[in-house]
Order: sequence, then structure tokens, then C-alpha cells
Amino acid sequence: MNLISEKFDLDSIEDVQEFYHSRGWTDGFPVVPPTPEAVRACLDWVLMAPDELIGIEPVRERTITAEKLAINAVMAGCLPMHFPAVIAAWMAMLKEEFLLHGTTASTGGCAIFIVLNGPVRNEIGCQSEFNVLGSSDRATSVIGRAIRLGLINLLEVSPGAIDRSTLGHPGKISYCVAEDEENTEWESLAAIRGIPPEASAVTVFAASSPRQIMNEWTKAPEEILDTYAAEMKANMRNYSIWAGNYAIVIPKQHRDLLQEAGWSKADIANYLFEKARIKRQEWADVGKASVIRDKGDFEYCALASPEHLLVVAAGGPAGGFGAIIPPWLGTKSQAVTVAIGACVDCEV
Amino acid sequence: MALTVLNPTTESPARDFELAPRIQSLAGKTVGFISNGKEGTKGFFTHLENLLLSKYQVAEVIWETKSNYSAPAETEIIERAQAWDLAITGLGD
Repeated sequence: MNLISEKFDLDSIEDVQEFYHSRGWTDGFPVVPPTPEAVRACLDWVLMAPDELIGIEPVRERTITAEKLAINAVMAGCLPMHFPAVIAAWMAMLKEEFLLHGTTASTGGCAIFIVLNGPVRNEIGCQSEFNVLGSSDRATSVIGRAIRLGLINLLEVSPGAIDRSTLGHPGKISYCVAEDEENTEWESLAAIRGIPPEASAVTVFAASSPRQIMNEWTKAPEEILDTYAAEMKANMRNYSIWAGNYAIVIPKQHRDLLQEAGWSKADIANYLFEKARIKRQEWADVGKASVIRDKGDFEYCALASPEHLLVVAAGGPAGGFGAIIPPWLGTKSQAVTVAIGACVDCEV
Repeated sequence: MALTVLNPTTESPARDFELAPRIQSLAGKTVGFISNGKEGTKGFFTHLENLLLSKYQVAEVIWETKSNYSAPAETEIIERAQAWDLAITGLGD
């Protein structure tokens, strides 16, 4: 297997760090040296040639090849077994409806939220419970980081270059979770989005930072979900009123109560579609009166449809803490789900 | 310990964006605006239109607005822009 990328001979691992940092090729953390052997191992795992085209970023016409993704994955700390998820995430991000250039360049400063589903989660050692939106495990940490390093190095999504984020958020370091499919009766996110349950899948979503909620004082599904709806409405007032995808991360304590009451993910989506609504006149309460104009009575919904809600079962076994994860900006970027290991040349 | 490592960046030459040929005078010309549609573009382009018409004798100003301010302009807008002498694009942030 002949690798195409330029090679550098360096004297030590310390030299590798300074060489890569000084060229702007990192996220500021140390990187694993991307040796030809490590990169070939990733490509062998996915049975891909180095020059296999994963896709083209259409705005700037940049080609994304398997070899370059493997180099960045190794740098992020990926083992070969993590690489199929990285490939799938890139395939998803390169779909037209994801609007990769806009999501990565915007002053809005979103990150790529990645949800893993299916058998791959257990095969690569994902942990879907404690600290799930933090650094919960090696697999999700390095997969999320591989996406960010790839954006930096392949599309120049560095701060001040293509990345024009005013603030950004910590998810731009790594923002990947595996759904806790074992501790829920619900269908997985990927299954709801059309992937056969026996397949593994990646969902990508251009997302703001998580907004944590807490409600441990009720068993009523409606009251639990009213807390999530309130946070979605707060986001609509304070950040963006436009409808799009929202992800909500529901921990086991809330899931148990919702499931005992017979609520499915579809029931949750339908409820939040009706409840997460505000009128434009509410902008007067948060300092945005100047843009209400004559539309004060217009009602806006957080979700473009109930199907736009991405319900993710994840989180530690105790605690009534959930999260909503808002979209970057309405429906300008749409969440995309693809199967891991599917043929890149085939339309699914 | 010597290490051979690989370049993680895109090495194939990227397509450069080129500026259109400069024009010598605005007088009598058709100028098009391609707005990204953000709130701030309205005041900016309105002021610019007034300046172009009153101070620089521009013949006509045509406004176009993208449907998605984070995506490239639609093909139809680019096709209509072929009839202009000059295009001005702008951000509204």
C-alpha cells in the first residue's frame, strides 16, 4: 500500500509535537505521531486504498481521501477499530444538507455533535453512562477529536482562518456520545432515522453547547418534559428562534419514569413539538424588542417537525439531569445519519 | 528514536478564488448587490445604494438576496449577475 502524503523524518516524539504544533496542525494538545505503519493499519481495517475518495467539500472543492482521514485519526489517538466511525461521520458531514462549510465557518461557533449507535459501540468500548457529555471513554473522545483535527487540517477550519466563531464551545475539542441502548426500551436514534437496528451508525448534528436541566421532583412525564421544553424555549429567546433539529439527552432516571408511563421517543417528540413554542413578543423580555416589529403574535416552534427531535438515551444511572442540545441555526444545517461500513459509492 | 511521520493537510492544489477585472468608472454602470440576507445588510446596502446613485452616477442598482446566508448564492442569482457590470457581496454581522 503506497501512501501518497508527504513524509517527514524527525528525531524524537518531542520533535514531532513541536513540528506539528508549529505548523498549526493540532488542536493544541499533543498528537500521536502519524507513522506510515499506523496509518496503513487504519486503512487496512476499513479495506480502503489511500486515495479512496470519501467526498468533496463543495464550497471550496476540497477532496477528502481515506489516507488523509486516517492520518488525522491516528493523530487524534484513534486505533484502527475507531476509524470506521470517523469515515462514516465524514460521509455524513459531506452530505449537501449538512452544509459543512457554513457550519464550520459561522460566527455562531457550533461543533459537530456525533451520536454512535449499534454494535460498534460495544466493540470499541464506548461508555454511555457516567460523564457521557464529558470525556466518558477513549473511543468517543478520540473519534470526536479526529473529526476536529480533520476539519483543521483538511478544510483549514482553524480559529481565525475558516473558523470565524465568536466564542465556539468545548464541544469543538470532541463532541461524541454513544447511545445507551442496553438500558432503555426505546428504539435507538439511528433506528428511528431509518438504519436497521443490527447495523452500526453515526448521526452528525451541527450543534451548540449542551444546556443542562434538572428535575428530580416529579414522576409525571409531562412535568419532566416541561423542564426540557423550558430550556428549549430559553434557547429560542436568548439564542435563535428558528426551528430545526434539537437533540435531547435523557438520563436513566428520567427514562425509567417516562418508560414506566408508556412514553415512546415519538410521544416525547410530539409533546415537545407542541410545548416548545414561544411568541416573538417574548424577545422584549430579553433585550431584543427592536426586531419584534409587527410580528409579536407570531408563534414559533423549536422543532421543524416532531421528527426533527433527536432523542438520545445516555447518562449516569443516578440523577435527574438531562440536556438539550440546540441546533447551530434552524434548518440551515440538517442532522444526517449514515450506516458505518456502508459502501461509499452507493446511495443508501 | 527516529520517526517517519506524514503530512495531515490537503496537499492537492486548491482552486483559488479570483477577483473580477477592475472597472475604471462606476458612471452609467449596473451594480448588483448579493446580500447574505442578514439583518445588518439592509442598512448597509441601502446606504451604499444611495452613495452609488448620488455620488458615483451609477445607472442602476439591483438587489439579490441569498435564501441561506451560510451557503453559496443560488445558481439563478449567479446567472442573473452575468448581466451586471459589477457585483458587491456583503455580510450583515
